[in-house]
Amino acid sequence: MQEPFQLEQMEKETKEMLKLRYLTKENCTFQRTPGGFVSLTVGDEHYDRIQVFCTFPFTDRYRCVSIRESTEKAKEIGIIQDLNQDLDAETVAMIQEQISLRYFTPVITKIKSVKEEYGFAYFDVETDHGPCRFAIHMSGSAVVHLSETRVLFLDLDENRFEIPDLTALSTKEQKKISVFL
Amino acid sequence: MNLQYALPSHIRTAMGIPESEEIWYAVPFDLTNQGVFTQNSYVAVTKKTLYVAEEGNLFYRIALSDLRDVRCETLVNNGILCVEEKKTDGWKKIVRFSMKHLSRFAFLAKGIRLLMKENFRRVISVEYEKTCPICGRALPGTRVCPHCEGNRHLTIARFAHLCQGYKKQFLIVTLMMGLASVTALAGPEVQKRFIDETLRSGHGNLTQVAEFVIVMAILTALTILIRYYRNLWSANLGAGISKDVRAMLYHKIQILSLSFIQERRPGDLMNRINRDTGMIRRFMEEAFGNIFYYIMLLCGAVIMMWRISWKLTLVSVVFLPLALALSVAWRKNIHRRFHMQYQKLDENNSALQDVLSGMRVVKSFGKEWDESQKFQKKTGEFAEIQEKNEVFWASFYPLLTFLMGMGIYFVTWLGGLETLQSKMTVGELMQFITCATMMYGPLGWMTHLPRMIVQMLTSLERIYDVLDEQPKIQDDKDPVDRVIEGKVEFKKVGFGYKSYLPVLDEINLSVKPGEMIGIVGASGTGKSTLINLLMHLYEVDEGEILIDGININRYRLSCYHSQIGVVLQETFLFSDTILNNLRFARPEASEEEIIRAAKMANAHDFICKMPNGYNTYVGERGYNLSGGERQRIAIARAILTNPRILILDEATASLDTESEFLIQTALNRLTEGRTTFAIAHRLSTLKDADRLIVIDEHHIAEMGSHEQLMQQKGIYYQLVMAQLQMQNLERPQEMAQ
Repeated sequence: MQEPFQLEQMEKETKEMLKLRYLTKENCTFQRTPGGFVSLTVGDEHYDRIQVFCTFPFTDRYRCVSIRESTEKAKEIGIIQDLNQDLDAETVAMIQEQISLRYFTPVITKIKSVKEEYGFAYFDVETDHGPCRFAIHMSGSAVVHLSETRVLFLDLDENRFEIPDLTALSTKEQKKISVFL
Repeated sequence: MNLQYALPSHIRTAMGIPESEEIWYAVPFDLTNQGVFTQNSYVAVTKKTLYVAEEGNLFYRIALSDLRDVRCETLVNNGILCVEEKKTDGWKKIVRFSMKHLSRFAFLAKGIRLLMKENFRRVISVEYEKTCPICGRALPGTRVCPHCEGNRHLTIARFAHLCQGYKKQFLIVTLMMGLASVTALAGPEVQKRFIDETLRSGHGNLTQVAEFVIVMAILTALTILIRYYRNLWSANLGAGISKDVRAMLYHKIQILSLSFIQERRPGDLMNRINRDTGMIRRFMEEAFGNIFYYIMLLCGAVIMMWRISWKLTLVSVVFLPLALALSVAWRKNIHRRFHMQYQKLDENNSALQDVLSGMRVVKSFGKEWDESQKFQKKTGEFAEIQEKNEVFWASFYPLLTFLMGMGIYFVTWLGGLETLQSKMTVGELMQFITCATMMYGPLGWMTHLPRMIVQMLTSLERIYDVLDEQPKIQDDKDPVDRVIEGKVEFKKVGFGYKSYLPVLDEINLSVKPGEMIGIVGASGTGKSTLINLLMHLYEVDEGEILIDGININRYRLSCYHSQIGVVLQETFLFSDTILNNLRFARPEASEEEIIRAAKMANAHDFICKMPNGYNTYVGERGYNLSGGERQRIAIARAILTNPRILILDEATASLDTESEFLIQTALNRLTEGRTTFAIAHRLSTLKDADRLIVIDEHHIAEMGSHEQLMQQKGIYYQLVMAQLQMQNLERPQEMAQ
């Protein structure tokens, strides 16, 4: 049976949602779990597993990293304001691992070939996650410009591939993808 | 979506799966645990064990009996399969995959969970693959890859069968194409004779000149006439076939289950009806009407040229591949350039639309200048590309025409030499040059042909993909036609729109005829799903629904639906008159019956006050009704069918107090003596319900009368108290206003 309805409780929860709790090496301890995740102890609270959300995944990945419960609601436990400053090196590595697990956006390092066929373009590329082939729609929003020189390709399965700096590609590679830019 | 890949033998060996164990599921994955792209990596599940092989080596193995739970987690652009072992606490990540396999693993997790409960029902995924697992090509929204598994011969044969009703049109178009090529080839022949036998013979006369002019005029007139009829019959053929296909598709989509339609984006089906059938029409008009004409013209021209000089013909043919290659290269380049231009134009248009529709926001934040600067930059980029393309077109097109015509210049030069040496007459030279021009002419068009054929075949395959789909809900072999009394039973009903994601689980409910059931619960808990099942729009995954003790599947669909009345929150009225909207439910209803229904629904008065009464046109181009008015029309529509089972889904939500009162009284009249299922967020509207059910976490969490549930102090009590508190909070503000 549930507790009787309490307005104060609801108001308290609403207020709690507005609070910003910063997590630093002084007030919390992160630990690796045997299953490949991370647990957290903050004050007298302990979380067997936490999730790491980047609040600015494109502009500043390690700034204001939101640490959340691993439940479906993913309630926020706290925020790491500056990952590289606020935690020790080992914890930083731990959190970075979790970030690269959660956010999978291979960076294209080399464009081997791009073939167009009936409305689709087939890419054969090298990425920082190994060689890969993917296909995109020629029409529509398969290419997202994050800035003048930074683009994302969205493939048919909704995977993302990033080119962080178009100017770093060779002229030949740039020509191969010029039609999409 | 395949969940039973053939496991390569070396993987099976590496996993150590005994020969005696049957593989229940086997799926590949494409990322190592460290996130590196991989091949040769599989998950296999037997009735007893879960195996994972990464890069060809066994990575993880566990008996299903040692697992507490398994789940597929969606991360950002990738996913993981996690297990919870009985011997250790916490979740363990065992497989990582890209979005390509996300759905597959979600289904697999559901399958493993069933096996853990010793339920050996195989989970089947009806979702389509996005790319062909064999060749890697993108699938054009079809189940099988047209290149690898599709049977193009069969598609063509089926299309030919479909065209059988158009034999006459086919025959006429073919005949016209033959005639067109004959008249085209006759021109140079007549010219040759005129030059050699009249102009150059030395004894030509005025009559012969007049004869030539008349013959040429007749040929020209014939050409125009033939072209007119060819176009007319091609259009007739294309429009007729595409009309037939469109009608077939529309009919099929109407009878297919809702799940089929919801699995696809609405635009996708619209495209199949409009764009793919349009593609067939265009092909019949533009390509089919010309194919034979150009082939016959090409062959005829070569034969005539050969007759005049085989040596020169060979020289001309040598240039053909060069001209063809030039044409292809040119087309690719142009396509690339103009694709970029169109893309920029699209960007411009969407930026413009964005700002125009958000003008109030732009103005209220005083950002007009910033926005116009942004747009100026975009439009500048477009102008730059456009200028470049225009310059390219203007400078390179004449050059290309010159290069494409190289063969002709060469032939003219060689032919000229032969004419000077009297090996060829002037007339023959002219005829040869005209024929060579005819041969080079259609080259550009011909290079488009393979693309047009493939596009047409792809469209056909997308169309047959829908036509071949079998509706999941069909009439029983021996359907039941009877008047429903209104007893409804849900027995252990389980359902999910995606079979791996349950929305309702183990629903047990028995409703007496005439009883009113109020359905309560938070958003997304499955209230609307429950009534979708009751409306028989979907098939239950588990359990059964009985209407008067007979399984819902046994009723004839039309008979069952005619006895159900539905009033939804978002009332849909067709772009038609009020009269026709009311008659949609029962076309044979008399005027008196319609007025009586409208009166019961408190709709008669406002309808009468409109200038055109019941003949008022509503919808996009007609009279704009308020939410309450639309709702009352929907209620009248439901009353008209005299339903035995009534479904009200948030029928009084988002209405003002007066409308709500009018609708509530109308609804009270409507629900009298009918089995009613009503969903409402505003709990006060359910005060007349005989019983209330609370749906939470896929189950019926609470059931009983208002008083019983209030005493239970459970979810319903919480909801009522929360709404009361909200009203108390609102009231002082209302009074202050």
